[in-house]
Amino acid sequence: MFADEVLEGVNFISTWKKERHLDDQQTQTGELLVEDQGVQSYKCRDEGVQTDEEPKKKLRMAEDRSGRLSEFLRDVEPYISKQLINNLRSRAFDGFDVGWDDETTGVSCVHTLSSPIATGTFQVTGLSWNSSGSVIAASFGNLEHEDWCTHRSSLCTWSIGRANMKEDKPETTLELDSCLMCVAFHPKNPAIIAGGNFNGEVLLWDLSREDDMLIATSGLGEDAHQEPVSKVYWITDAKGKKIYLVSASSDGKIIQWKIDRKAQKLLPKDGFMVMAQSLPRRMKVKGVRGDKEIGVTCLSYHSEDKDMFLVGSEAGVIFKCSMNSQGPPAGSQVSSSIPLRSPVTFTYNPHHGPVYAVQCSPFHRNAFISAGMDQCIRLYSILQAQPVLTIEPGEGYIHAASWSPVKATVLAVTTQSGCLLLYDLKQGKTVPVHKLTASPNKLPVYACQFNPQQTQLLATGDGGGYIQIFKLSSNLRTSTGRETEYIGNLVNVSAEQ
Amino acid sequence: MSEVEETLKRIQSHKGVIGVIIVNTEGIPIRTTLDNSTTVQYSGLIHQLSAKAKSVVRDIDPQNDLTFLRIRSKKNEIMIAPGCEYLLIVIQDDRGK
Repeated sequence: MFADEVLEGVNFISTWKKERHLDDQQTQTGELLVEDQGVQSYKCRDEGVQTDEEPKKKLRMAEDRSGRLSEFLRDVEPYISKQLINNLRSRAFDGFDVGWDDETTGVSCVHTLSSPIATGTFQVTGLSWNSSGSVIAASFGNLEHEDWCTHRSSLCTWSIGRANMKEDKPETTLELDSCLMCVAFHPKNPAIIAGGNFNGEVLLWDLSREDDMLIATSGLGEDAHQEPVSKVYWITDAKGKKIYLVSASSDGKIIQWKIDRKAQKLLPKDGFMVMAQSLPRRMKVKGVRGDKEIGVTCLSYHSEDKDMFLVGSEAGVIFKCSMNSQGPPAGSQVSSSIPLRSPVTFTYNPHHGPVYAVQCSPFHRNAFISAGMDQCIRLYSILQAQPVLTIEPGEGYIHAASWSPVKATVLAVTTQSGCLLLYDLKQGKTVPVHKLTASPNKLPVYACQFNPQQTQLLATGDGGGYIQIFKLSSNLRTSTGRETEYIGNLVNVSAEQ
Repeated sequence: MSEVEETLKRIQSHKGVIGVIIVNTEGIPIRTTLDNSTTVQYSGLIHQLSAKAKSVVRDIDPQNDLTFLRIRSKKNEIMIAPGCEYLLIVIQDDRGK
């Protein structure tokens, strides 16, 4: 019943275990490159340095112990006095010009400035150097209007001599909604600039401010000008303390402004009106009222007598005026909150066309120049009606004329033909010592300004909107001592004839 | 003393005179019409120069002596009158004539 039985083993494959396969594989990493490099860190050490303040040499006055001082002075005084007087009369050094440091004999253009938004579309209507002589400002505008002024003009400045100055990119650009006709920097504060626009508004900016640079404006209205502002001018009062802004316009008004910073307004302080009754008799037209205005194109204040100024007019007449004048009042057709009166005290022999420039000599109290559309430059004596010298360069209208601020006989004029002419009256009265092209496209050059601080620089502005900066040779800016006397002789001798 | 002041005033009143300084033999100013720093500068330098000039004149001819020294510069003229004990310096600008 029992028997041996051998049961076959049963195999079954695991459903979850997987058979392991082993395979030989080789891998190889790329060879590691090892290189030795020497590095060295710097050792730093702080060391304080300090320049010693230079000890100020103290003034130590010695006592005179010997008591023979007065004796010595008695001996020496007559001789010293004689020498001092002789020295003033001496002509020993006349014409002895020292030019050792004269590296430039010619006049050359050093910069041609342009503005991306104004150049090409607008003319340069005015230029002004700031009080430190480092910044040039240009006003752009259109000189021809057939309609309302809807131009978007601008005021641009460049810092001459600064390393990162770009000739085609102004340092500041103020965009304006009317053509700007003139600019003038404040005589003391290098950031304050005044301008007058085509609508008759006088504006004042502070360029050092970040956002809104406009600090005061005359606004538009009966107290402002009714015609384009032709000139803005800073004057100091007789004591030399207060500084006022004066503007002149084609509407015949000359207004002295008071600046009210709080209200951001320019308030008229004093006003004048140039009228037809001041014209010389032969220029009067029958049937024109005597109180009809005469458009003012330019004005210049006297360098010594702070109350005296000269006015050039559209009629071609140059008027001598006084701030204290009690001339006839303006006609009733002119409305103004301040009384306007005629400032005219004397009338000079007129030009045969509008006067574009008039300037008193900064050196001689009786000399002034004028220039205008009649293509002449005239030298006048303040004391007489007839000009003492007339120069006709034959280069078309003369748009600007200016005395050098450092050399009494030098003057610069710019012309319709695009030229800058530099005259030295001592070297030749009728022939310019330099004739240069001051406009890249030979357009009329409307503005010309000497730099009163950096006296080697002169700026011109042309009808294409380009400003050129010229470097003057040293013989045009170094005075040899007798120029004022020469101008004086020119003005006086001719007066006797 | 007032005589000295008067003389200085007279010299100062000449046209174009910028300043007058009197210096003693050591180069120290005794009287001046200029401001402190200018006085110090002028008196020190001019004293040295005039001593040098004096020695030049004497070296050339021992019998000779310096009586007056004038320096003409671009901006002004400096006149120096040396004495035994004093030096008178006058600075004049004759350009304005």
